[in-house]
Amino acid sequence: MIDNGLLVQMLLGALLGLSVYLPLATGQLSLATPAFYAVGGTLAALLSTRWSALGATADGGFPLASLLLELVLGGLLAGGLALLVGRPVLRLRGIYLAIATIALVEIVRVAILNLPFTGGAIGIFSIPQPFTDASGYLVTALALLALAGWLCQRLEAMPLGRAMAAIRDDELAAGCMGIDTTRVKLIAFVLSAVVAGSSGALAAHFLNTWNARQGSFDVSVTLLAFVILGGSRTWLGPVLGGLVLTALPELLRPVGDVRLVLFGLVILLGPVLVPQGLITPALLERLGGWSWRGTLRTPSAPQSNPSEEPS
Amino acid sequence: MTSTATPLLEVRDLSRHFGGLRAVDQVSFAVQPGEIFGLIGPNGAGKTTLFNLISGVTSPSGGAVLWRGGAITGQAPHHLNRLGLARTFQNLRLFDGLSVLENLLVALQRRPRGSVVGGLLNSTSHQRAERQRLDTAWQLLEELGLSALAERQAGSLAYGDRRRLEMARALATGPALLLLDEPAAGLNPAEKEGLGGLIQELRERHQLSILIIEHHVPLLMRLCNRMAVLDFGVRIALGTPEQVRRDPKVIEAYLGSGTGSGNGDAPGGDPG
Repeated sequence: MIDNGLLVQMLLGALLGLSVYLPLATGQLSLATPAFYAVGGTLAALLSTRWSALGATADGGFPLASLLLELVLGGLLAGGLALLVGRPVLRLRGIYLAIATIALVEIVRVAILNLPFTGGAIGIFSIPQPFTDASGYLVTALALLALAGWLCQRLEAMPLGRAMAAIRDDELAAGCMGIDTTRVKLIAFVLSAVVAGSSGALAAHFLNTWNARQGSFDVSVTLLAFVILGGSRTWLGPVLGGLVLTALPELLRPVGDVRLVLFGLVILLGPVLVPQGLITPALLERLGGWSWRGTLRTPSAPQSNPSEEPS
Repeated sequence: MTSTATPLLEVRDLSRHFGGLRAVDQVSFAVQPGEIFGLIGPNGAGKTTLFNLISGVTSPSGGAVLWRGGAITGQAPHHLNRLGLARTFQNLRLFDGLSVLENLLVALQRRPRGSVVGGLLNSTSHQRAERQRLDTAWQLLEELGLSALAERQAGSLAYGDRRRLEMARALATGPALLLLDEPAAGLNPAEKEGLGGLIQELRERHQLSILIIEHHVPLLMRLCNRMAVLDFGVRIALGTPEQVRRDPKVIEAYLGSGTGSGNGDAPGGDPG
């Protein structure tokens, strides 16, 4: 039922979920991820079809090294764009930030639709393939997700990640504790864009064609559902949400058109039944007592119980 | 004495208007190094607005704030904090979703500073810095009697513990001047009794100057070297507790002049 192709899509969903999670972990509801995803995808589609130096062959093959280069470039371009628009946009809060980032998604979509070199409504097709079947994409997407997951996990044990959590709880107080809130919010926004841009670059090759519809407001809403269903308190939440909600419409295909109704029901009932999302820090601590945050907890010279000293 | 005349913090003709309301109206005073300086006044006198102006949360309509003689008016809160100015909040603004320990680690993030790359790669210098932050955090928890609560979520603490955590968190940023906004509010009598001693102790151990807003006037009378009194945004008195206590303007502000309404808390009273 789940083939490699669907698995790749699920992993891409998880990556985009993480891209929404990073600003949200800083208290910023940004829906800009599809814009950065579209930027990365369009860049990869353009480079691989137009720039012969990357080594696309006549039979549609593509060197792996060039794909990796595109992942980096897609991330960089999206990150650069985020850096540029982030400063003015992140002055907004809450629902206003959400609306501004939706506007960004629309601007990018309309630009891709109308630019003279992006193929209009049809888009760019026959994007060369670095892999002969989906398993190559699976490995690459898995590696990308592992990298993004590692980033999120490391953040938990770093001043930057703690600053993000502090801003989410109380931005004003965080500023008064010496945190440059503008800078931290901008970093989270840029990281979010980098993840989305790289994912887009991979997706362009995987899908073989790329057009403006890849990054639309609909996608924003779907990605938000990933995070809401999975849980926004840990990075594993959006990953699970992305995997499940990408697979669900495909797995429900046998039931026909009712599947979209069922899918809608899941998104509707999720927040009602599990308001914190499926994965919460409390759940993780119950499972195996794994200390979720990477923070060291004990003092180095405990007065009472030296055996608690971690090595 | 005269050679070291530069105050740690000086407020010069500081004003803040909200529409037609002069919340703070040309207030001036200075806090000397090592001093405990009290700020009192009836409710709505502009004390918290003054704190917000000093800590950069609100920008002033006029006047200047000087730090060790240099102008810092209108700078962002995080800049001011890094200069050595830390505050607590009257209405408690802890990071409720984080543990008590993490609340302090947030405030300790620049003591010492670390690089993002070093943190990502978990470099030895990052580990050393984390260890150092953790030690400082535990020290502060110990000092404020919070170490048993280190793992608890800040939002779940009892009121008095949250007040002390606010102080610990402000101290964690390594300030030279601590702004305390009604630290006794909501405390039970026993906690109130201990507060004066705690503040004295912290001042000595951390070599602090303290600027304190408090309605619990007996506490301030005992604690402060000097104090200023605000009423309707205007500084109506300045001096030692003894001078202030006898100032006719202060008595009028608190007790009313016979025609007006003494809406406030009389000196010596304890509104809790």
